[in-house]
Amino acid sequence: MEDEAVIVGADITAGHDGAAELVLKVRYQNGVVSPVVLDPETAVALMDACGVASIDKLAGHAWRKVLEEA
Amino acid sequence: MFDILIKNGTVVDGTGAKGRAADVAVKDGKIAAIGHIDGAAKTVIDAKGRVVAPGFIDPHTHFDVQILWDGAAKPALEHGVTTIVPGNCSLSLAPLKESGRKAVIGMFQQIEEMPPEAFTEEFAKWTWEDFAGYRAAIEPGLDINVAPLVGHSLIRFWVMGAESQERAANQAEIAEMKELLRESLKAGAVGMSTSYIDMDDKGRPVPSRFAPLSELDAMCEVLGEFGRILQVVPEFYDADLTIARVDQLAELSLKHNIPTTLSPVFDSPVTPHVAPRILARVEEQFARGARVWPQVQTRPVDISFSFLRPSLYFARLPTWWRTLKQPLEQRRASLKDPAVIEALLKEADTNLMTQAMGGLVIRGGDNAPAAYVGRKLADVAAERGESNPQALINISLEGDLDVAFGNMNVGHNSPERIGPMLASKHVHIGASDGGAHLTSFATYGDTGFLFSDYVRKTKHLTLEEAVKKITADTADIWGLKDRGRVQEGLAADLVVFDPETIARGEEKPVFDMPGDGMRYTRGSVGIDTVVVNGAVAYANGKYQDARTGKVCV
Repeated sequence: MEDEAVIVGADITAGHDGAAELVLKVRYQNGVVSPVVLDPETAVALMDACGVASIDKLAGHAWRKVLEEA
Repeated sequence: MFDILIKNGTVVDGTGAKGRAADVAVKDGKIAAIGHIDGAAKTVIDAKGRVVAPGFIDPHTHFDVQILWDGAAKPALEHGVTTIVPGNCSLSLAPLKESGRKAVIGMFQQIEEMPPEAFTEEFAKWTWEDFAGYRAAIEPGLDINVAPLVGHSLIRFWVMGAESQERAANQAEIAEMKELLRESLKAGAVGMSTSYIDMDDKGRPVPSRFAPLSELDAMCEVLGEFGRILQVVPEFYDADLTIARVDQLAELSLKHNIPTTLSPVFDSPVTPHVAPRILARVEEQFARGARVWPQVQTRPVDISFSFLRPSLYFARLPTWWRTLKQPLEQRRASLKDPAVIEALLKEADTNLMTQAMGGLVIRGGDNAPAAYVGRKLADVAAERGESNPQALINISLEGDLDVAFGNMNVGHNSPERIGPMLASKHVHIGASDGGAHLTSFATYGDTGFLFSDYVRKTKHLTLEEAVKKITADTADIWGLKDRGRVQEGLAADLVVFDPETIARGEEKPVFDMPGDGMRYTRGSVGIDTVVVNGAVAYANGKYQDARTGKVCV
């Protein structure tokens, strides 16, 4: 059990407006895993904040990174 | 003498009743008789082998601007749609003071991808400020009926100006907004729309997003006086937030005795829990007596991209991602660099993307070669003697990166899941977004797709059930008392179609928007004749410029 929410998976989905969007699986402190959908801009910022160039490298990063700037 | 006599057809009347052989006579804009009819008529239409149904009603569109120069809302009419609902998502073109036009034009550009020239070249003379004035501006030129929503953002903007995008309203402002809504409803608005997600061209939330629930409650009190509908765009990407909105709408529906509708709800293979959870909550609220209609679209959703901006389509390929995320000039240079290209091709190969890219469709964009548009990349690549990724890069470069590609049908694409949703008595078929997303994909032909895929192919709905869903059910939800059924005395909005072939046509880019702007569109398949208020508005592949459309509530 982590002491903070962690990204445990990522996938791409089609958004309502035709853009590709990012679907994360986030595991929270209580063990629950829940999906979170991010718009393209937020997804790009998250990847930059995590220093990754592939969504497959997001697993293991802290969910709080979504609030950080690269 | 009748004006129109449609003979020998199968009448599917919109009620869900089984189709029956009958003639339909039309006079003075109304359905005059149904049955075996021998009387004379100015126009006789032979509908042998065809269905005669009520005109389809599209409850979620953004044709507000287009109908100022195109009264048929092309191509909506040719798909059998005789009534459209514009003004969704908090955004209408009235009430709007002259001083606020620039800001609202920005919202239309952002939300609907409407080119700025539409507001200068096509109706340079704005003749209205209030809703009645907008109605007067559109109604003389209508070939299609319009049941317009008034946008909550416009009402806020009229009363609060720029502060509508900064804060909650005070009591005096809410009182003024209520009166403005009342005036708009009297002038022909079918209800009010609001949004919790939309942004303007500067990336700021639209005015409706600054309204607390107490303000929305006050506005719904006015809707309750008229029994009119509230349309809401919830945070549809998140199941829990949307369910919270469903609960809010249920309270407003029960308190003010109004119908409400939320759009869109759509299904995705990577978030399969979202739509079923929302729909389950809707069912619970209906059981309480609330009217909360979720709009579910029929068509699948695609991922569309060009190399003009980074797309998450490439977010599993680090080299592609880094290359395409560079500033534009560096991106162009990298895509011409042999070393970079070699690395891109190698990465695509090792990630099994070379083959996958072949399934992309060359969609359009300002510089897409006409000979390639609509074709699979694999076919074009083979023709060019290139691998799929090579062709993707080279075609983009040849079009100065303004060539769009589509990864088609990757969301809302499971008939086994969506069929039962569309057939549910608590689901409102809609959310077409006609007239919006102009440069991203075609938002037309969802009705044809309903028949081709969910009636003929998967059989989740019978022909009669499908017709009912997009005619009588829609009319009842929206309070359009004069429409939605083939019934004596009702408005003669009719569509004659071939049940064996009705479908949506292929998507194609066209340059028919003001300023030679591009949009994606689709023609219809299997639609013979469309009658609007007793006049033939479309027949044999041609628009008739009948000008018999009305603002209808």
